Amino acid sequence: MTALILYSFIAAGLLIAIFLALRARPVRPEGSADALLGARYALRTLQLNLLPPELVGRFFAREDLEYVASATTQEVQQQFLQDRKRLVLAWIEQVRLQVISLQEFYFGQSRHFVQLSLRTELALAWECAALRMVCRALYLLVFLRGPYGAPDVVGKIVSTAGRVCSISEQSLAFLAPAQDRGVVRNSARGDAAG
Amino acid sequence: MATLRAEEVFLNRLSKHADVQAASQDLRFRTLSQLPHPLDRLIYLASTRDYNTGLYHHDGLALRFSGEAACEALADCHREAFRQLLTSSLEQIVNQLQAYMETSRIAPLEFITAWRDLKPYQVAVPAETDSLSAEFLFSNLRIALAILESRFRAVPPGAPDALRPQSPDR
Repeated sequence: MTALILYSFIAAGLLIAIFLALRARPVRPEGSADALLGARYALRTLQLNLLPPELVGRFFAREDLEYVASATTQEVQQQFLQDRKRLVLAWIEQVRLQVISLQEFYFGQSRHFVQLSLRTELALAWECAALRMVCRALYLLVFLRGPYGAPDVVGKIVSTAGRVCSISEQSLAFLAPAQDRGVVRNSARGDAAG
Repeated sequence: MATLRAEEVFLNRLSKHADVQAASQDLRFRTLSQLPHPLDRLIYLASTRDYNTGLYHHDGLALRFSGEAACEALADCHREAFRQLLTSSLEQIVNQLQAYMETSRIAPLEFITAWRDLKPYQVAVPAETDSLSAEFLFSNLRIALAILESRFRAVPPGAPDALRPQSPDR
């Protein structure tokens, strides 16, 4: 009887301990899939929406400015410059945020999923830090001098961001769906075996 | 067993992809080739989309292929037209807008006022378009409308046709 009471107390104690442990920490397993999805989303946003050369080229195209200057009134020119400035600032901010998102993944969660060499980690850290700094500088330049005020810095951002995306793509390649050729290869092997 | 299932899924996907490709080719060849500018194609393709469901419908295409293949082909071509318009220069957008305005047979200033106030182009973008790209296109169209408006306002209402801004397509 004493043993039964003792075991009941121990069981109750364990249950309480588990309950407290669950309450104390978020119910998310270490290395949550959210981090992976976030990194993948940041990479896709950079590659497909923010960095395609034809799109970046249009954001900063001087020919549009020259056309507006030659084809319309001062008022429309002002509206054009205001619109472009707002959009370019939004573009810089989005690039910066997506880079921060990738950086947080690499420095926080990536060890659970990907094997990065020390050299790659250092290169990534350097590129991300440089990119964030250049984004800040470009933001300030565009804010002060307008959307066409710093064309060289734009090129620098695009090339550095391209390198970060390239490293990220290699390290996140395991997230891509299984290659179709794998199925074909399996199929051919299956046929041969049969 | 798992390999067989994977093969089946793969072959299904391949056949569906081929259907969509064929439907896209057909759509480009028969219909979109009649619409010379990305803006015309964007508006036409957006008009085939049901705003309640987001699905595209085209009876002829669905009859020839399948409803699903037609829907995906229309969505693909819609995205393509959006991308082409997005990467057009401002001058090209002004020219496309003027050409579209002329085909509508509405008085230019009336057309410009309606487009400026109602912003019909805002519902013409494909689903899942990122907000920055959409806003960039809207901004270009707003500026293009302002440029056309300033051109047309500079010409007095009773002026002969020779004085009116000419579409570069003419």
